Amino acid sequence: MKRLSNLQRLWFYRVLTLITTAILVHILAVWAAPRLIMQVLMHGPIAQTMNMQNRAAFPPPVTAAARTVVMPSPDLLYSVCVFDVRDGPVRISANPKLKSYWSIALYAANSDNFFVINDRKSGNKPVDLWLVSGGGSPNTPPIPAGAQVVVAPSRTGFLLMRVLTGDYEAEKAVIEPARHTLTCTPV
Amino acid sequence: MMQTVQVGAWKGNLLAGSPDADMYTRSTIALNALLALGRDETMYFIASQDDAGHPLRSNCSYRVEGVPPKARWWSITAYADDMFLFDAPNQHYSLNGTTARLDTDGRFVFTTGGQEQPGTHWLPTPGRRGMVLTLRLYNPEPELQAAPASLVPPSIKAVGACV
Repeated sequence: MKRLSNLQRLWFYRVLTLITTAILVHILAVWAAPRLIMQVLMHGPIAQTMNMQNRAAFPPPVTAAARTVVMPSPDLLYSVCVFDVRDGPVRISANPKLKSYWSIALYAANSDNFFVINDRKSGNKPVDLWLVSGGGSPNTPPIPAGAQVVVAPSRTGFLLMRVLTGDYEAEKAVIEPARHTLTCTPV
Repeated sequence: MMQTVQVGAWKGNLLAGSPDADMYTRSTIALNALLALGRDETMYFIASQDDAGHPLRSNCSYRVEGVPPKARWWSITAYADDMFLFDAPNQHYSLNGTTARLDTDGRFVFTTGGQEQPGTHWLPTPGRRGMVLTLRLYNPEPELQAAPASLVPPSIKAVGACV
């Protein structure tokens, strides 16, 4: 078998390095994309304006002007919170008492939906969630009986409450007070 | 596990929002459907082509017709190719389980396009660009969750010439 010349060997390693780098960059980009998008969602200018760090915020109904998150549903009224369990649990409560669909979904920092509860699952009873860090935190007080403990797979993440509204103007007197029962508070 | 399903012109990703998603699925969902719910809560089907296989265009008119899917509630929303809502002058962005008027056969129908088609619910899609239709099924019935391909897909047919 013919041996490679030094020049051929040099080019072989150059091409190999280029291909390896391209594969690593590709994998890194695919891995990082959802995390970066979530970072912008949770800590970008709009999040700062809405002041939703460990605090519930209540954006207006979706219109064509809504350009924060892709594919917004015009049939849902959204409420949001960025949770941070680094310093202790975050208590999430709500009591919408609506006959139509609503849900509270929790998303990890990598965009995974790791928890959801809706009107049916809750029996349309008050929701009381204690969101805790999987790694534990130094300031965890006793969790009251009756509260549901949810372990967050990441220390920060996003809460999205959806309230169904087929006709917002006709329903807002009912659904606005209902969604404003949402709290998202560090304990 | 099968990740995608296509029924008629509609495609669904069965791992949308799921912690079981691989990194490519997670990245795709983050880019195109961030904050999706898992399929036991909501199923999503997206159509970017009509029934004839032609890409959907906002300057063409389409007649979308079907039966209400087996779910607690449903909606079909028109999005521009940047995945945001069209600036609809009549504020009609979707047809849903509340606004749909069913005919005597239990079917709904609506149209999309730049010009209203008489006698149907109209979702305006101004401009000349690509578009998609998104079908959301809230609390889909267990048999549909188990067999997403059993969805009876709404038909999407081009009507007249594009403008």
